[in-house]
Amino acid sequence: MKIKVTSLYVDDQDKALRFYTEVLDFAKKTDFSQGPYRWLTVASAEDPNGVELQLALNSNPAAKAYQHAMFQQNQPAVMFFTEDVKGDYEKVKGRGAEFTMPPTDVTGSTIAMLKDTCGNLVQLTQLAKW
Amino acid sequence: MIQGEQYIPRPAYGAQIRKDGDKWTLILVRELRHSPEKVWQALTDPAHLREWAPFDADGNLGTVGSTVKLTTVGAPTPLVSETTVTRADAPNVLEYKWGSFDMRWELEAWAGGTRLTLWTNIGHRFIAMGAAGWHICFDVLDHLLSGTPIGRMVGPAAMKFGGWQRLNAEYAKQFGIESPNWPPQADQKS
Repeated sequence: MKIKVTSLYVDDQDKALRFYTEVLDFAKKTDFSQGPYRWLTVASAEDPNGVELQLALNSNPAAKAYQHAMFQQNQPAVMFFTEDVKGDYEKVKGRGAEFTMPPTDVTGSTIAMLKDTCGNLVQLTQLAKW
Repeated sequence: MIQGEQYIPRPAYGAQIRKDGDKWTLILVRELRHSPEKVWQALTDPAHLREWAPFDADGNLGTVGSTVKLTTVGAPTPLVSETTVTRADAPNVLEYKWGSFDMRWELEAWAGGTRLTLWTNIGHRFIAMGAAGWHICFDVLDHLLSGTPIGRMVGPAAMKFGGWQRLNAEYAKQFGIESPNWPPQADQKS
């Protein structure tokens, strides 16, 4: 068994695809549809065969409630690791992304938080070097 | 029962696409050798839908205002969409949503049978795939109503079927669109 994909609920898959590819520079990996179902994943451009992020439509009440509650509680729905959180913060902010937290030192890492325009908070994490 | 392998769909036909803003609609017309009443039953009765449709219904779709759960058959993760029937003029017009898609069915008496028209929204990228899928579903429906069922072919069963792949390419050509490669892992362009 391998960890190959993790899922993120979004309220609009087209919008999510734009955000994750154009703002965060991920690459579309798989996109197919069956009736109203759409399986859509992106992967890191730096690691195209690495773990995929599924952008899943929040099409059931449990998904909607969970997504909304996590957002309200200021909890990130997903976390990405970077080697340069300050540089990524400037770059992504320059593309119009709305940050709710600028790069901030916490135990073991520096983190920043931004909105993904699809109902989620995304955390960028740079691990501290000891 | 005719074996599925012996079923060879005829070439793509009777389909149009329409664009309204950024919303695309697939329109499919089929002439079936069965009465509108019989076709209506096949479109609304869960026991019939299970034999040919790309979704299962947990209730009858033939009454306005009734709430029915539609389960997409073979979706990679379970997808159940609750719908409310917004129009049911038996045996002529049926309207409801399937997920975010508007579904409109029109049945007209035609030469002792039924001219069936389906309007359904579908993402532009996937419109040829949808047309190919419905094409096969309607053939399965026609066989079912004729008493010579060939078995439901939806989801993975349809996509593995060479006839579906050929139809996908034919509809894409008719519509002048580029359809995604299949299987999807081969489609790695962004």
